Amino acid sequence: MDTDLVVRAQSGDEGAFASLAVAVGDRLHAVAHRILRDIDLAEDATQQALLSIWRDLPQLRDPARFDAWSYRLLVRACYAESHRDRRWEPNLRLLPADEPITADGYSSVVDRDQLERGFRRLSIDHRAVVVLHHYLDLPLDEVAETLGIPAGTVRSRLHHAMRGLRAALDADARPTTRKAAQ
Amino acid sequence: MSRTDRDVTRVVRSWLEDGVTALPDRVLDAVLDQLPTTPQRRSRWAARRRPNMNNSLRIGLAAAAVVVIAFIGYQLVSGSNVGGPGPAETPTPLPTGTAAPSPAPAADFPPAGALAIGRHALIRGGVPFSFELPTADWSSSGNPWINKDAGVTPEGAAMLFWNPDPDNVFADPCARTALSPPAGPTAADLAAAMSSVPGTDLVSGPSDVTVGGYPAKLVVLTVREDIACSPTGLYLWYFEDEAGELCGGELVCGRYATALGDTIRVWIVDVDGERIVIEGETYRGAGPEVEQEIQQIVASIRFE
Repeated sequence: MDTDLVVRAQSGDEGAFASLAVAVGDRLHAVAHRILRDIDLAEDATQQALLSIWRDLPQLRDPARFDAWSYRLLVRACYAESHRDRRWEPNLRLLPADEPITADGYSSVVDRDQLERGFRRLSIDHRAVVVLHHYLDLPLDEVAETLGIPAGTVRSRLHHAMRGLRAALDADARPTTRKAAQ
Repeated sequence: MSRTDRDVTRVVRSWLEDGVTALPDRVLDAVLDQLPTTPQRRSRWAARRRPNMNNSLRIGLAAAAVVVIAFIGYQLVSGSNVGGPGPAETPTPLPTGTAAPSPAPAADFPPAGALAIGRHALIRGGVPFSFELPTADWSSSGNPWINKDAGVTPEGAAMLFWNPDPDNVFADPCARTALSPPAGPTAADLAAAMSSVPGTDLVSGPSDVTVGGYPAKLVVLTVREDIACSPTGLYLWYFEDEAGELCGGELVCGRYATALGDTIRVWIVDVDGERIVIEGETYRGAGPEVEQEIQQIVASIRFE
């Protein structure tokens, strides 16, 4: 991250913040979507996180830590959104050109469906650890620092989350096994 | 087959790669719009630092901020005029409509904002018609849908007025695999296709009904609780949005579910060969009053 932009935005420079928001917006949104598994909630969480970043930016002591700090605010926003009642939104969306409607479907659709179910059963605490570690590739100590929790707690949450996801994936194989045994 | 930890990690990582990444411009614009009214929280250490900024730099930064704000403002203003095919004049909703007189002058759709009790005019696909709202808690999105302004579940509701109407449904809504061959051109064809969209349960229909004096098909669906993706990833039907009218692009515009357990009522009206599709969606746990209100609105529809 361009620390000069961060410093200027800390001083109330809206232009610098606009550049900063453009630079980080996609990444924050991608993380929010992976934690919340809902595009609309993710958009709301990202919007709230960006406003929190703007509001609290003067309190960030080390501009070089901007990324980790912004993820912490984003995860907080995800918590808030996950508990918010939904408002009916226009349910029409342009389907991305890189995800064409095909007759073939998704190559590993079974795994994906099982993971989706398993992931949605996890708490936001556990989802955040999985996404920060396995999507953003943050080392566990950085995940701990980002979330403001001990490294041991991060390891524990990751372990439980991955166990849950493995169970979800294995659940797909069980009916086949039972069927073969009959 | 047992998976190793490495297998699970690989599958999870691959799965996480799949999904949206781009933040829509409208979200970014909404954030930037709010900056002038969102004060920053100053810490003491930051406050001490500010006096070190020289005046020319401060003026320069302020000027840059003004330029950015002006630019964003210009984009918003000019953007609001882009693609606006309809007349600029907006209809004036009738204040209180006990006698339901003639509708306000026709426009493509009531402008965004609260809708008064009474009759409201719209045009979909060149077909002018109107509907009457029995209560004052509905609002228009400015696009072809209105929201019951309870705002939150379970008493919120929405109605869509489609034309262009859905071309086809999804055979696999989570994977966005289209039904092949696609649904046919008649109201009955589309109703039959909608009746069997995976991820939904058919409550009733297709039934023969009448809307505004024209023959129609009614299909009632609920979104299943055990779908394999999030409800907003469950795409039910779509149309080719060649004009960029609803989705803002010349591509496929998909309609997705809102929440698990939602009930979606679809009226497919055949107005002299033109399909008008009307939807009413309510949340799980919605009381009978909401459904009754939707029925009442559909029953009030008059084609001009």
